[in-house]
Formats: sequence, structure tokens, C-alpha cells
Amino acid sequence: MTAVWRKELRSYFLTPVAWVYMGVFLALSSLFFYIQILTKRSSELLTFISLISYLWMLLTPVLTMRLLAEERSRRTDQLLFTSPVSAASITLGKFLAAVTVLLATVVLTLTYVLVIGLYGRVYPGEMLTGYLGLILQGCAFVAIDLLISALVRTPVVAAVAAFGVNLALWMMDLFAETAPPWLGKILSFLSLYERTEPFMMGQLSFAGIFYDLSVAFIALILTVYALDRRRWKQGG
Amino acid sequence: MIEFRQVSKRFGQVHALRQVSFTAPDGCVLGLLGVNGAGKSTALNLMTGYYPPTEGEILIDGMDIQAKPRACKRRIGYLPEQPPLYDELTVREYLRFVSELREVSARDVRRHVENVVDLCGLKPVIDRRLGKLSKGYRQRAGIAQALCGDPPTLILDEPTVGLDPRQIVGIRDLIGELGKSHTIVFSTHLLHEVQQLCSRAIILHEGHIVWDGSLRDSESEAPMILHAVIQAADHGIVQAFYELECVLRVQTMPSADETLTECVLTCSRSTEERPQAQVFRLLAERNAPIISLTEEADSLETIFLRVTTGKEAEQ
Repeated sequence: MTAVWRKELRSYFLTPVAWVYMGVFLALSSLFFYIQILTKRSSELLTFISLISYLWMLLTPVLTMRLLAEERSRRTDQLLFTSPVSAASITLGKFLAAVTVLLATVVLTLTYVLVIGLYGRVYPGEMLTGYLGLILQGCAFVAIDLLISALVRTPVVAAVAAFGVNLALWMMDLFAETAPPWLGKILSFLSLYERTEPFMMGQLSFAGIFYDLSVAFIALILTVYALDRRRWKQGG
Repeated sequence: MIEFRQVSKRFGQVHALRQVSFTAPDGCVLGLLGVNGAGKSTALNLMTGYYPPTEGEILIDGMDIQAKPRACKRRIGYLPEQPPLYDELTVREYLRFVSELREVSARDVRRHVENVVDLCGLKPVIDRRLGKLSKGYRQRAGIAQALCGDPPTLILDEPTVGLDPRQIVGIRDLIGELGKSHTIVFSTHLLHEVQQLCSRAIILHEGHIVWDGSLRDSESEAPMILHAVIQAADHGIVQAFYELECVLRVQTMPSADETLTECVLTCSRSTEERPQAQVFRLLAERNAPIISLTEEADSLETIFLRVTTGKEAEQ
């Protein structure tokens, strides 16, 4: 697992993927910071964190698209699956590499917190719950999009499909508002954004933590299953 | 040692391998031959554990690859048809990654990579990105990754395909060298490559083994075929040949020159005196000068054409 993790991290930074991901994330979050904090002279950190959490939907596919789909298209999966390493270790190694880049990006956003702290007031409890929600939601998106990368043959298809799924997850909130009450309840219960809402209000939600971790765990299990099943069924 | 026991592999309705059984003992260099689609790559992917068989058992050093995949995979290095290279990594980074993947301990990785690089002649390009390498070096990097973790068995899928003649010679020399210390199974459709490198060959056709035999004469029990051209229009000579201890069958060939007799003698190898010597002695006694006497090996090419076209004709 650590071999896969190290290799993926190296690949992220040797190719433009991590740089593009971090660059676009920081550019857009700077824009949000300017609009939400600087122009309004506000120090509402949680509103800002809530805004940047929408970037996961847009940018996580960039991070995950090549992780498994490219192994398949380049046929390097033959190396992985004929080595003494399990599909679970491969999946976990890749997931953790993507999460590492995500965390590095989140760490860079602390600059904004510093700026707010210099000119306003930052409440550590609020900040920690906000960042916890942001990171957990990010991990759930990485796991879901990694599963999609395991299901398709090319990175481009993986990116487009993952973006579509992320968009559908976001739109679940909208559907929930207009759907019949029973369906609305189910949809808002399943919504990643709805579950993260308490964190963005400064509340430590154990249900939210459990939900995000469960989504990530189930998506990773399904990824392992997809990798094994593909080889069993059609031989790669 | 690799052992296939009644192994079949189906992809949906397509039977890629049917009831295949063979053993590749330790130290053997085994060539898998066959036309495209014969089942060579499927057999190799099965013995490396890339995918499981539909039926049957595959044993690596006596262990079932389904029951103990990790232990079996540790014993095998695999070069697929397309070398599994990450273009963004350098040769050194790549081999380090594969070594870690193959459970080489952290403190040995550096030395291990250097050994593999030396063995495969990759030193001049060790810090070049794999994506920038020539096809010959890419193939060498592919073989190098198969050697990571010191597996006793190497599986190579068409290792010389797509290379220029110089690169082919280089890779063949490397395989020949590795064959001294490893059990090697490799697939190819180049017959002379098998004759040059292998001690044994298996010919696959439409998922079946249609021929399995040794390529070393000393081990071969096949009859010797002698082609003789004699300066004598003597038809009695055919009868005389049959009186020799070694001769099993005589076939006369039409000759444009009436003063010459051409025949093909099928001889047993089990007699004390070599068949050539017996033939020479007989013709000398009969005062029939030998114009030429050559041994026609039942070449792999002949065998290959016979077993593959024969099967097609049957269908």
C-alpha cells in the first residue's frame, strides 16, 4: 500500500495534475475570499469554508480520473495485479495519495484564515469543525470518484462521469426541496451537502462524521469489488 | 516449477483455453508458440495470476495460485506484451516502485535496483523518463521490472515484438543469459527464436496444446530423416537400404538426371552405429558414389505448419 501511495504522490507532482488541481482550487478560493470576505469586510470563516467545499464537486474528478482508469488504458494494471499486493491495498494506496494532495491543498487555505485572523477574529472551535467537515466531505468525494475511475476505461471518461455524479449529488438537495415529502426526506438524508451543513454552522456532528466515513468506506469497498470482478469476468 | 492441470479459460462464450495440461520444470526455458489468438497470452496471464482459470488448477512450485496468490506471485516476474511502464517516472523511480511492490526490504531497494539495472544494460538511461526511451530500452525496462524481487520464474509475453534487428539480438542475448539462472516461459510467434532460446516448446492452437516436445536432439526420440543423392541408376538400392538395421522407410524422389538416384530415408536413432555411417558403408560396398547425404531435421517450422494447418483442415 505504501509503495502505491508513494508512487501516486510522485506521479501527481511529476505530471501537471496536482499543480492544476491546487492552482485552480486556490485561484477560485481566492476569488471566493475576495467576494465573501474582503469586499464585505466580513470575518465569517465558516461561510467561506462552506463556499470552497463546492469546489470538491468541480475539482475532485481531476484528482481521481487517472488513478485507476489510466492503469487500465495503459495496461499497467497487469503489473499491479500480478504483484504480491491485493486490490484492497492498491485501492487504499491510491485513495490516500489523492487525500494527501487534498490535505496539502486544504493546508494552503490556512493562509486565508491567517489573513482573517490578522484583521478580524477567528474562533478556533468554529475553524476546526468547519475544516473537519470540509476534509471529510472531500474524502467522500475522492472515494466516490475513485470508484468511477475503476469502472471506466479512460481518464477523460472517468473525469466527465465523476463530474456528472458529483453534480447529481449536489442536485439531490434541489430535488429534495421539490420532491414529495417522503422522497425529499430520503434525498436530503443521503445528501452529502446536507450532512455537512452542521459543520458549516460550527457544530460537531457525529452523524455527519459517520455518514462521510461510511460513504467513503462503501465507495472503497465497491472499488475493490469492481477491480476484482473485472478481472474475474472478462480478464481485464 | 509451473504446472497446468486441465486448465480451461472462457471469456463469455469464447473458449480461450481448453483442458490444457503441461509442466514447466525448474530451469527450463519453455517457448509457447501459436498463431494470433491461439491462447498464448491467456495462458501467460493465467500463470501470473492476472485472472483466474474457469476450470482446472495452476500450481506454482506446488502451490495453487488461487489458494495462495501472494506467495505464488512472489515467485513470478512478468513482462506483459505491452511493458507496463509509467511514462512520467524515471527508470530508477520505476524500478524502485516495482521493487517495493514486490516486497524488497527498504534498505535493500537501492542495491537491488542497481543490480537489475546492470543486468539489463539500463545504466546509460537510469535517470531518463520512461516516456522518452527508445522501444528497445523500454523493453529492457519491462524485463528489468520482471526481475525486481528476484523471482525464480520469468514469464515473458512476446519480448521481441516490434523491435529492430539489433534490439532483437540484444533482448535475445539477455533472455539467454537469464535462462541460466531462471525458469523462463515466453510466448512468441517467431519459430527460430524458440529454436535458438528454448529447451522445450509447446504449440497452442485454438486453445489446445497440439504439440509439446523437446528441442534438444539428444533428448529427441523422433526418427532421423536423411536425404541422399547417389550416383547410380540402381533401383535395387532401395531394397538394399531396407536391409540396414537403422532404416525404417525409404522413399525415392524423381530426379531430372537419370544417372542420379534421390531418396529420403527415415531412420531410427536407436542403433549402435549412426545411420549416416551405415548408409555410407553400404553405398561404398555397392560402389555407388554419394553426391550428398544430409540430415533433414523435422524442424519446428515443419511441425508448426503440420499441427496448426492440420487442425484447421479438420475443421
